[in-house]
Amino acid sequence: MATASVAASLPFCLLLSPRLFRGRRAVRWPRPIRASASSNASDVAGGERKLGALESRVGDLRALVASVPPAVASIQKSISPNFVAGFCVGIAFLAAAARQVIIRSRDHDNRGSVADLVRRGQLKSGQRGTAKLRTYDDPFNNSLVKIDEGTSTAQMFGKEYRLAPVRLTKEQQEMHQKRRSRAYQWKRPTVFLREGDSLPPDVDPDTVRWIPANHPFAAASSEVDEETAKQNVYQKDGVPSRVKAEHEALQARLEASNAVTKLPSDPRSMQHNERPMRSSGKPSENLQSSKFDNQGRQVSIESGKHSSDGSSQSNGPEGQ
Amino acid sequence: MAFTPPRLLPLPLPPAAAPASTRAVSARHHGGRTAPELSGPTPRVVVVTSGKGGVGKTTTTANLAASLARLGLPAVAVDADAGLRNLDLLLGLENRVHLTAADVLAGDCRLDQALVRHRALQDLHLLCLSKPRSKLPLAFGSKTLTWVADALRRSPNTPAFILIDCPAGVDAGFVTAIAPAEEAVLVTTPDITALRDADRVAGLLECDGIKDIKIIVNRVRPDLVKGEDMMSALDVQEMLGLPLLGVVPEDAEVIRSTNRGVPLVLNDPPTPAGLALDQATWRLVERDVMTAVMVEEQERPKKKGGFFSFFG
Repeated sequence: MATASVAASLPFCLLLSPRLFRGRRAVRWPRPIRASASSNASDVAGGERKLGALESRVGDLRALVASVPPAVASIQKSISPNFVAGFCVGIAFLAAAARQVIIRSRDHDNRGSVADLVRRGQLKSGQRGTAKLRTYDDPFNNSLVKIDEGTSTAQMFGKEYRLAPVRLTKEQQEMHQKRRSRAYQWKRPTVFLREGDSLPPDVDPDTVRWIPANHPFAAASSEVDEETAKQNVYQKDGVPSRVKAEHEALQARLEASNAVTKLPSDPRSMQHNERPMRSSGKPSENLQSSKFDNQGRQVSIESGKHSSDGSSQSNGPEGQ
Repeated sequence: MAFTPPRLLPLPLPPAAAPASTRAVSARHHGGRTAPELSGPTPRVVVVTSGKGGVGKTTTTANLAASLARLGLPAVAVDADAGLRNLDLLLGLENRVHLTAADVLAGDCRLDQALVRHRALQDLHLLCLSKPRSKLPLAFGSKTLTWVADALRRSPNTPAFILIDCPAGVDAGFVTAIAPAEEAVLVTTPDITALRDADRVAGLLECDGIKDIKIIVNRVRPDLVKGEDMMSALDVQEMLGLPLLGVVPEDAEVIRSTNRGVPLVLNDPPTPAGLALDQATWRLVERDVMTAVMVEEQERPKKKGGFFSFFG
C-alpha cells in the first residue's frame, strides 16, 4: 500500500514546478496563531514578523492551488481517450489471462492424487502409514459407551440406542446349514488347469478348477516343481534355493572360465579370454544384477539373502 | 453398533454348560479387563470373505489385524487377492511390499523375508500373495496358502492369528484363500445382493468343512433401519442363520483412514466404526458372538429449563 501511494504521488510531484514544490515543503506544519493581544512591544514586533511570514506562506499556498488546474489539464491533454481505452482493455486482458492461468494451475494440481489429498489436508505428507497409537481401553466399557442393563439401552457417542436380543437359536442355525448343504453341492477344487489344456489321466475331473488364460493364476509354466516350491516355503534359514542355484551356476562358470584361461599359452588367446574373466570376476554383482533388476530399492534387502547365517534384513518375525 | 450386555438376556445354556467365551463376557463387564482371553490353539487361521465385492472385506481384515496386534496378539494378514490387492494400502505398507508369496514359492526369498512388519504395530505382519501384474504358478493349485499357514505354524514365532483377505467371487482366488482356513468371517452389507452372495459363500464354506462361520454386518445406517428402508442386523442374521460377530455402522472416517493408510481401530479419538471393529476383534479372540444388537436410536427426553420452559 505504501509503495503504491509513493508510485502514485511521484509523477504528480515531478509535474510541479520547483518553487511550488519548495513551497509545498514549507507549508508542512501550520503554526498556531495567537488570538490574544500582548502588552509587550517586542512581542508586538515578533507578532508582525510572524504575520508577514504567514501571509507569504498563504500566498505560496494560493499559488500552489492556482497552479494545480493547469497541471491536471496538461495531464488530460497528454493522455488521449484512445490511450485510456487501450489501457483499460489491456488491464482487462491481463486479468483474464491471469485468471485462466490460475484455473489451469488448479486443474493441473493432480486432483484426486496423493498430492491433492495432502494439499486438502486429508493426508499428511510423509506420515502415511504411521499412527500414534491410542492408549488402549475396553471397547465395551469406556467413556463413550454406556450400557444400561436395566432399561436395555446403550448410550454411545452421545446417542441412545435400544438393545434388541438376538433371536437365532441353535435349531434355526442347523436348519440353515441343512438348507445350504442341499442347495450348494460343492467340492473344493484342488487342481488348477488352464482352459484348453488336456486333463491328466490321474486327475479327478471334479477336483479340477479350469482357469481362464487371463487369470492371475494362469502362468504358462512354473520353473520349480511342486516339491521344490513346498521346500522353499518351509525353508526357515539359509540362502533361498533359486539364489543358491544361480550362485552355484555362476561359480561353475567362473571356474570353467578360469580353467580355460590357464590352458592356452598364446597371448592372443589370453586377450581373447580377458573379457569373460572380467565379467565373471565379481560373481556376487552379477548375481544381484541378474536377479534383482525389477526389485529397485530392494537390492540392499535382497543382498542380505546371500548370507547363509539367516541374519538377513528381514521384515519378518523370524528374522528379528 | 452392538454390544453384549451381560444380564440383559437369558443365556440359552445353563451356567454349568455355558462356553468359556460367554463366561468371559460376563467377566469382562464386571471385572474391567483390559484384554480379551485368547481361545483355542494358535495360530488360528481365519478367512475374511464375502462373495460380493465392495462390502468391506479388506477394511475388516486390516482393522481386525491391527486390533489384534494392538492387543499384543501377533497377527499375519495375508492378502490373497492376487490380481487386485489392496490390503497393503489400508495398512500403509504399499511402499514396502517388494517380496511376495510368489517369490517364496520360486525360491527367490524365504517366507520370513516376505513378511512385512508394520511400523507402529510390531505384532502385525503383511504377506501378499503376488504382485499385481505377476502371475502365480498354476501347477500348485490351492496349496500355496496351505503351505504358508503350515510354515507359519511351524515357525519359532508362531502368530496367534493368520487373517486371510479373500478376493471377491468364488473362483480360483477364493479356493486358494479358503484352503488353509479353519474359521471364516463373512462380511456382508444389509442389502439383498450381498446377502445372496453371502449365503452362497457360506454354503461353499460349509461344504469345504469350515463350520465356524460368523458374520459381520457392515455399513449399517441406524436412521434407515429405523425408517425400515434398510434391513437390520437381526434381519440379516435371520436370513443367513449365522451368529453375529459384529455390526459396523456406516462411518465417513473409513474413507479418511483408508487415505491415511492407518486402520480405523487406531483412530484417536475412537470412531463408531472403529469401536465396532474393536468389539468384533474381542469376540473373535474369545470365540464369542453377539447376544444383543442396537436396533434403533431412541428419542432422548428433552430437559426443560430456561426462560422458554415457562411457556411450556
